[in-house]
Amino acid sequence: MNSDTVTERKKLITLVGPPNSGKTTLFNLLSGKKHKTVNYPGATIEYSVSGFLEQYGISAYLMDSPGIVSLIPVSPDEKVTIDSLYTHPDYGKPDLVIVTVDTSQFSRHLLLAKQIIDSGFNTVVVLTMNDLLEEKNFTIDETELSRSLGCNVIKFDPRKPDGVDTLINMLKHDLNAGQLKTQNRKNHTEEDVLCIYREIEELEKKVLRDLNNSSENNPHIAKANRELVIAGHGAGIKIPDSLTLKIDSVLLHKFWGIFIFILIMALMFASIFWIASPAMDLIDTGIHNFENFVNEGLGDNWFSDLLSQGIIGGLGVVLVFLPQIVILFFVLGMLEDSGYLARGAMIIDKPLSLLGLNGRSFVPMLSGFACAIPAIMAARTIQNKRERILTIFIIPLMSCSARLPVYGLLLAFLFPGKYFLSGLILALIYVVGVIISLIVAGIINRYKRTFLNFEDNSSFIMELPVYRVPKVSNVLKNTYSNAVQYLQKAGPTIVIFSLMLWLLTNFPADVKTNPDDVSNGDSVAVQLSESERISNSYAADIGKVMEPVMRPLGLDWRVGVSLIATFAAREVFVSSLALMFKVTESDENMSRSLINEMKNAKINGTGQNLFTTATAAGLIVFFMLALQCISTIAITKKETGVWRIPVLQIIIYTGSAYLLTFLTVNGLRFFGIN
Amino acid sequence: MTVADLNFGQTAVIKNIDLKHPSSCRVIEYGFTPGQELQVVNKSIFNDPLSVSLRGALIAIRKHDARCIEVIIPDEL
Ligand SMILES: Nc1nc2c(ncn2[C@@H]2O[C@H](COP(=O)(O)OP(=O)(O)OP(=O)(O)O)[C@@H](O)[C@H]2O)c(=O)[nH]1
Ligand SMILES: [Mg+2]
Repeated sequence: MNSDTVTERKKLITLVGPPNSGKTTLFNLLSGKKHKTVNYPGATIEYSVSGFLEQYGISAYLMDSPGIVSLIPVSPDEKVTIDSLYTHPDYGKPDLVIVTVDTSQFSRHLLLAKQIIDSGFNTVVVLTMNDLLEEKNFTIDETELSRSLGCNVIKFDPRKPDGVDTLINMLKHDLNAGQLKTQNRKNHTEEDVLCIYREIEELEKKVLRDLNNSSENNPHIAKANRELVIAGHGAGIKIPDSLTLKIDSVLLHKFWGIFIFILIMALMFASIFWIASPAMDLIDTGIHNFENFVNEGLGDNWFSDLLSQGIIGGLGVVLVFLPQIVILFFVLGMLEDSGYLARGAMIIDKPLSLLGLNGRSFVPMLSGFACAIPAIMAARTIQNKRERILTIFIIPLMSCSARLPVYGLLLAFLFPGKYFLSGLILALIYVVGVIISLIVAGIINRYKRTFLNFEDNSSFIMELPVYRVPKVSNVLKNTYSNAVQYLQKAGPTIVIFSLMLWLLTNFPADVKTNPDDVSNGDSVAVQLSESERISNSYAADIGKVMEPVMRPLGLDWRVGVSLIATFAAREVFVSSLALMFKVTESDENMSRSLINEMKNAKINGTGQNLFTTATAAGLIVFFMLALQCISTIAITKKETGVWRIPVLQIIIYTGSAYLLTFLTVNGLRFFGIN
Repeated sequence: MTVADLNFGQTAVIKNIDLKHPSSCRVIEYGFTPGQELQVVNKSIFNDPLSVSLRGALIAIRKHDARCIEVIIPDEL
């Protein structure tokens, strides 16, 4: 925007269409971007703008928009979306609108196209999913449709670049030829929509061609047959995809449906652990070797310590969990692309509605397992404000992928070598997280008048997309970019925190060794001076403040400091533990794994083990509940518009996390588990 | 009779949409208009929501919303 002169306003082309009609796929093709496309209505939630790829030679902005069913808003959020379509706050009025129409649902999707054209927009209609329509043995006569609608119409499969030149030429032509008409915002009412649908039904008879008909070349016979087919009872076009119906008869079965649903969810989370463990072991070994290599190469000095223990060790710990993250995103992506998610939303709608949530809460909650931030934004697809805020409220309780390294470490500590058991426990952690979130939702819904005071209509209507074999290449691309994002987010934070922690634990450095201890022998003296240095370091100063808080949990200040570090990113917990214990529990064998360090760690001044079954279980409980992510707090404020919600979350979640961790640790100890 | 009262697998024709119902506008926008034929193809556990075949698409709809769609069964005509 900045380089353009005010007089030569860069033109704007906006993509508009019903949910799941192929807007983002087309946007990606034309702009070269890699935005997420998903077989679920409501994948895109925000306007996004890009230029065209250079090769197309169109100098205009291209804007992708969230899917809308019609131009009539039914919620305040939808009103914002539709208002921005007429006049975007930053980019102004669109010079050209591309409306995508899924031809396999021709009449339903043409509603929006008609509304857009009737409102006076300069419009091009792109017909997508022609392959699906042809499977039903029908096709659309685009010339006839173009004549009836009074705008250009083109059939195009946005997944492939074939024939894109025709589309580009059409866009260029219409962008220059079409004048910016004054758009009239018709007072759309239910009657208007009914009226448009009647027009569409007439239109459908004119443009829909039956491919079965060999006499198609003879327009008269074809016409007669056409009318017969359309008028006929159960005409082919009105029957949904037959394979989809067959799959649905199993997956949406009245009884089996819910079992299959639970099974799919459970398998998804358990597989994260089972499949990933060999790869994780491999990475782990590699990193230890590298750490040793650096340590030996640089000799025994502070720089070598910092590099090997702090940076490489810290990054390594996060790298180890990359396989799990990759599998999580891959499985989620396969589910998204298959078309099952909309079914999941439908199956779970009734139970969720009893708790004040909505079937549409399902996908945001599920993506909360990857990361709470996009999940909270995805809650925009929930029209009812009360249900939306409640969904946002509980999303932080879904165990996000940043917590995987933490659980991974603690489970490996608790059940060394038992991958199968760890996988089951991990699945259990996820399930318990969900159950707690549902309990919280239920309680808040019960007292909603105190918390969320909105009265409006709760509804659930959603189109169920056609099942598709997921496109593995697409899913892999998405997984890759998510993995890169994970590393980009965690990497720098970890390096910075490792540096800070290292400095805090190593300075001030000049501390006199207590002469009384020298008599105990050399090795002990070294150890003492090391631990003494720590206990005089800046970190220990912070620690002294933390100690009274951590003690009741059976933990010490070192864990406390690591917990503070998690506010930047939860993954940092693992790397900062690694650094803390390698520095504070000094020993000559640097190759010892973090798990072994943890086993040997003692609570300051006592011989008591720091990490026991009780405290490790306690830490898992803490991470399941506590709201420790600054970005989540910020996005919650942004999406709900009030501070009240995130503040309430911090008080409730972090407070109960502390309380329950206390109960877990001391409960386990009471029963003799230590 | 409304769509909410239909049995599994039953086919019906839409007679009228109750415009007083708060969901009526959404329901019409999704293509539930008088004269259209529809079929209840699946019911979720607890019989709610329903999956309805309409205009060549499958639409999941809560019984609460389906109540504003008045239908007649063709055989009863
Ligand atoms: N078979 C077929 N699939 C298509 C075609 N065009 C797009 N798709 C697929 O349809 C799905 C939805 O595409 P998107 O581009 O995400 O749709 P959207 O309109 O952006 O959807 P929302 O953001 O939810 O409104 C994706 O899985 C695409 O791969 C087509 O012409 N034929
Ligand atoms: Mg999209």
